[in-house]
Amino acid sequence: MTENPFIKMQTIKKSFNGVPVLKGVALEVQKGEIHALLGENGAGKSTLMNILGGVHQPDSGTIYIDGKEEKMLDPRISQEHGISFIHQELNMVSDLRVYENMFLGSELRSKVGFLKVEEMCKQTHEILAKLGVDIDPKEYVRNLATSYKQLIEISKALLHNSRLIIMDEPTTSLAEHEVSRLFGLMKNLKKSGVSIIYISHKLKEIKEVCDRYTVLRDGELVRTGSMEHENIETITKTMVGKAISQERFLHEHPFGRVVLEVDGLTSDAFKNIDFTVRKGEIVGFTGLAGDGRTELFESLFGFRKKYTGEVKINGQAVKIDHPRKALKAGLGLVPRDRKENAIIKDLSVLHNMSLSSMGNFEKRGFIRDKEERKKFQFYKEALNIKVHNPRITIDKLSGGNQQKVIIAKWLEAETELLIFDNPTQGIDIGAKQEIYQQIVELAKLGKAVIILSSEAPEVLRICHTINVMFQGEITARFSAEEANEEEIMNYATGSKREVAKIG
Amino acid sequence: MANINVKEYQPEARTTKNRLSWLWAEYSVIIAFIILFIGSSVLNPRFLDINNQLNILMQVSIIGIIAMGMTVVMLSGGIDLSVGSVLALAGVISVLALNASGSILVGVLTALLVGSFAGFLNGLMVAKGRIASFIATLGMMAGARSIALYIADGGSVSGEVSGFTAIANSDFWIFDVPVLIFFAMTALVYVLMHKIRFGRYVYALGSNEKAALLSAIRVDRMKIGVYTLIGTLVGVAAVIETSRLNSISSSSSGAQYELDAIAAVIIGGTRMTGGRGKIIGTLFGVLILGILNNMMNLMNVSPHLQGFVKGLIIIIAVVFQKRE
Repeated sequence: MTENPFIKMQTIKKSFNGVPVLKGVALEVQKGEIHALLGENGAGKSTLMNILGGVHQPDSGTIYIDGKEEKMLDPRISQEHGISFIHQELNMVSDLRVYENMFLGSELRSKVGFLKVEEMCKQTHEILAKLGVDIDPKEYVRNLATSYKQLIEISKALLHNSRLIIMDEPTTSLAEHEVSRLFGLMKNLKKSGVSIIYISHKLKEIKEVCDRYTVLRDGELVRTGSMEHENIETITKTMVGKAISQERFLHEHPFGRVVLEVDGLTSDAFKNIDFTVRKGEIVGFTGLAGDGRTELFESLFGFRKKYTGEVKINGQAVKIDHPRKALKAGLGLVPRDRKENAIIKDLSVLHNMSLSSMGNFEKRGFIRDKEERKKFQFYKEALNIKVHNPRITIDKLSGGNQQKVIIAKWLEAETELLIFDNPTQGIDIGAKQEIYQQIVELAKLGKAVIILSSEAPEVLRICHTINVMFQGEITARFSAEEANEEEIMNYATGSKREVAKIG
Repeated sequence: MANINVKEYQPEARTTKNRLSWLWAEYSVIIAFIILFIGSSVLNPRFLDINNQLNILMQVSIIGIIAMGMTVVMLSGGIDLSVGSVLALAGVISVLALNASGSILVGVLTALLVGSFAGFLNGLMVAKGRIASFIATLGMMAGARSIALYIADGGSVSGEVSGFTAIANSDFWIFDVPVLIFFAMTALVYVLMHKIRFGRYVYALGSNEKAALLSAIRVDRMKIGVYTLIGTLVGVAAVIETSRLNSISSSSSGAQYELDAIAAVIIGGTRMTGGRGKIIGTLFGVLILGILNNMMNLMNVSPHLQGFVKGLIIIIAVVFQKRE
């Protein structure tokens, strides 16, 4: 290892609209190392990486590559230096085929200019095989699940002979076996001299795969060092400035009557689903990508219509074929993929909050702005939503605050049962904690809660009952005390399976 | 205190430059209007004449009423190309009803009914048939015009009931009645969009349809409502158009009204894909188009060139709005 690091960023400063986001940050990445870049949402990680990737220009500071000062004036220049950026948001053209996406902008052509389709397919297949993914390179991207899209995005970077790959939360929609494959691949890349900057909120992953780390907080570098001698707790502490417990939330309270009873629900994405949820109970559903849980609850919520089976709410059989009917029957859904499914980015924070319960704010058909503001003030305090002015559009808030607004929206709708699908997706640890706390509070107040999550530790921490799904079936049901991560994985991967007894 | 340094909107931290660009983004259409207005008064002294001003208002009132409906449709993420044809159809049928019944009220109600029914059909096609609004209303545009031509045998139909012309040709204080109707419709649409839940849902639908549906909004009904609303407004416009000359032409009435209405909405700053835009913006968009037409007439610009100028203005407006 040379004394000269491969990439060296020095005293990088950057402000947006007069608000400093980076206050003189330094970063060094050696050749062939996996470097974790840590920090909460808004700490400045993405901005720093965007500067390295040529998307933003720093106000001051220098970047050295192989010891030479370079200016990243635009993304193209950064790419020429061998830097690839895998963004958190997937940049895929869904109407193109897999191989076309892989080679978009750098197609292989014969001398006369015709596309070498077979060659591209072959290379696509090879590179995907390294990640253990078997998909037809000629498949259209729109037909693929999100996790595959993410893997394609990663493969794309591999294709370009990169010297440094920046991965911004690459594992958010990956199932665990896919994650371990990705890690295997990252380790191989490392051996061949490629450096990786890895951004993630999942500290366990980081501990597993990264060599060194840098922690940012509020646009400042707070700690950097070797991963080997650190434990997760100290890093978490430096990230948020205080210790955060990873322990189970203790909440023993008696459950009330049965609110939701599902019997023999079947569609093309799931089959024979039976379960009940009682007042005050938090029921978790977990499994790998493609286990059908999202489809199951979208059906229950009336977003998908083609299913058979019986649904009873408070003992009454109901037929829900539209989310409005679900709301009236007493179901609320905080959906996954906040940006696509939950927030209305052109509406203000206030209006997003009131959207599902306009009736609460009307008088003779007219909306009363004052009531809306008053109610929002209440939720702002109750949920600790950080917003200066609730009239700004919701897309200006951080992920955690957006999620809190969406939760406020459903609290305001006053449904008896609330379904949370991946409630902490892309949210930093501090806000995650607050959301868990809030969910537990809801259960204490007697609401029935369902949590869908791909992260087993998440359901383990807050649920009373845990259902594990595999390929559209519930393969196991545990009470919180008997469950552990390993058992859950056994059932989620289908290596173990039992007919669920009453939970 | 977990996530500090949320990138919040902090008015205090704004520099003058930022403040100016914010002002421009919010009110660019009004600023453009003021510039155009001042420019026009300098270029031609007759422009400021009160009669000329009232004349401009009179001339924009029909397109203005339609543009209000178009704003709502475009905010919902759709478009309605059928407005001109539906106006002709509603006009033709209402004149027939007027002559047959001898009652002005029947004539007016028929126009509203035909307009709203055509709009309702558009809404059904878009919401339930899941046809792209461009295609559905393109079909309606061809169909409605064809039926109008068939009923009127390709020509014009004239009213035979005295008093019908009074609707568009009388005035109240200094304003012509069509101008007052235009203002009333603007106020009505403003209330619909900003004071009751209908508007909130339309913005939500245009911004993110899936999220709107998952927020338990009856998205299909909203779409049908939006197209029915513009249909009804087209019916109102049809009454004015017909009453103005006491006749309506099945072949030429309403021709290219959709383009003028869409132009006004775009100039007014409404986003083509929906979710963002203002009623007040469209109002100024309509006035800008009216002043342009008026100035070109005052300055003896060849009528053949007027379309070119209008086209240029639309494109410039969009280029500027992209800057935000």
